[in-house]
Amino acid sequence: MAMAAQRQGGWWLLILPAFLLMTAFYVTPILQVLAISFTEPQPGLQNYERLFTSESVQRVIVTTLRICTITTVLALLLGYVLSYKIALADERARRWWILAVLVPLWISVLVRAFAWVTLLRRQGLVNETLMGAGLIQEPLALVWNEFGIIVGMVHYMVPYAVLPMLASMREIDPRLLAAARGLGAPRGTVFFRVFLPLSLPGLIAAGVLVFIFSLGFYITPAILGGGKTLMVAEWIGLQILDLIRWGLGTMMATMLVVTILVTLAIFSRVVNLRRVFGSGA
Amino acid sequence: MQSFQQDCVALAFEKFRRGEVSRRGLMAGLAALGVGAGLSPGEAAAQGRQLVMVNWGGIANEGFGRFYGEPFMAANQGVRVVQDSTGPSAGRIRSMVESGRVTWDLCDSSASSSQLLGRQNLATRIDYNIVNRNDVIGPGFALEFGAAPYSFSSVLAYDSARFPNGAPQNWADFFDLRRFPGTRLLRRDALATLDAVQMALGKDPRNLYPLDVRACLARIREVRRNAVFWNSGSESEQFLRTGEAVMGQIWHTRANVLQRETNGRIKFIWNQGLLQAGIFVIPRGNQGGELAQRLLASMLSRPEPQVGLLQFLGNGPTNPRAAAQVPAEFRAVNPTDPENERQQVVLNGVWWGENYQQVNQDFLDVVTG
Repeated sequence: MAMAAQRQGGWWLLILPAFLLMTAFYVTPILQVLAISFTEPQPGLQNYERLFTSESVQRVIVTTLRICTITTVLALLLGYVLSYKIALADERARRWWILAVLVPLWISVLVRAFAWVTLLRRQGLVNETLMGAGLIQEPLALVWNEFGIIVGMVHYMVPYAVLPMLASMREIDPRLLAAARGLGAPRGTVFFRVFLPLSLPGLIAAGVLVFIFSLGFYITPAILGGGKTLMVAEWIGLQILDLIRWGLGTMMATMLVVTILVTLAIFSRVVNLRRVFGSGA
Repeated sequence: MQSFQQDCVALAFEKFRRGEVSRRGLMAGLAALGVGAGLSPGEAAAQGRQLVMVNWGGIANEGFGRFYGEPFMAANQGVRVVQDSTGPSAGRIRSMVESGRVTWDLCDSSASSSQLLGRQNLATRIDYNIVNRNDVIGPGFALEFGAAPYSFSSVLAYDSARFPNGAPQNWADFFDLRRFPGTRLLRRDALATLDAVQMALGKDPRNLYPLDVRACLARIREVRRNAVFWNSGSESEQFLRTGEAVMGQIWHTRANVLQRETNGRIKFIWNQGLLQAGIFVIPRGNQGGELAQRLLASMLSRPEPQVGLLQFLGNGPTNPRAAAQVPAEFRAVNPTDPENERQQVVLNGVWWGENYQQVNQDFLDVVTG
């Protein structure tokens, strides 16, 4: 027993240099910056008080949470369908499917946002086509609003939703599905009572990943929102760089970090989060 | 948020790619820059004194190096002026001053930022025994915590194809959605935008300040649904070029490009344009000390390089003797040409410096509401 504990301590010593390095050059500066939220303009909690009193602060939080939740739900829906299709495809088709999912991941977020602008603007491909076909008289407002932002964000997030779900679906033993069918369950029942519960850990892991990623979105909302939607990342940038209200900016940054940590803490109890960060099962 | 300076750089790059700025000009500037950039600050300091001028990146290095740095170096042997393109936002200047090691000497900032920085004791007061107040065209260009060697303007640009029965003449027309239907384009920044609203609300342009912020914001709230808001200059250009917006308040440099490239389909007017000072500030405790004031004085006092910069980047001169030296073909695009200047309103940087933080936050709340 004592031996084992000692051996464990030995292993910890090996990562100590890396740990100290991270603490000194990464964690400490971040904490220093976040501490500004308690010291500026005067020491105290008045920046945090704004969470309850300032309509402006509340608006940016509500907007961010709304967009992130909608994005997460849509990305999970689309991602689930894709993963299901890929998991059940044969080996050759699966490789092509995975490539098709991964390719957008390698394209810059900036390029993708501009591509959506080209498609969705008033004289863009979608509106021109619909008007040419006589389906609409006036161009639809597809961009420069939250709709455009969500289209862009969902597009960005679908691969992140697919990967953890696919990993979890591929662990499901296909014989279980066959057995359920053999015992007389209709297709729907097989899916809802066997496949879905078994794929749930992957679904939750993907949801956590997509939601946390969405919280920090900056470029996509800035380009597709037409300036009329501020999400929390851009809002922090404005406070720090342009308005020099560092206390308020760092307060929001602290809230962002806390939200992410709390989300992770809650869901790490529900699912194996190692899966989310790539160390598959 | 992209600043005017950043946009000038982007625009100049676009011009260069289209072949409108000669490669020789670019190479000459880069060579000049290479001399400065080749030395570490320590080495240069050992050889003589060094000043670091901070701009917003890319080709401003060349423009500012050539038209601000070189004339000063030629007149002051042993002094080296180095360009740094970090982008001196107010927040970055603050973090540098508070870090205690201030390597920046002269930063391309703005009237409101200079006021904001000065009030927080982050900028050095301009010494008007060294800098000559008479070297600029008006009091708005020589402020307590900064002075302007160039100018720019936020002007009304519109798509003339959409208004065959009469073009908008002023900001009142701009905000009249009944007579001039279509999407409006505004900068997502209260500064210069609310000034235009205030004129549209009927206040005398000669007596514009203080702005009635509440009334101006109420007007913005009304047009918000019919408006899009730009962050960067290239974005503003695209919105008008692609017909997403039919009318906009944009920087004169972008308006000029649009007018030329659409063969006059998109036009702009100087009337009621918001003329702004391109203010440079000296961060408190800068290493070059008083020499930075002398560099600023030199930038203000020489009309020829200012005219050169107008032709190169589009920035208007501020020296009173400069306008007469501008070649005829550039007069129409010079915001400080007497003919154009008289139609515009000089933005009150002092009022904005005192009110920017709160008013811009309120503006953002209305725009994103």
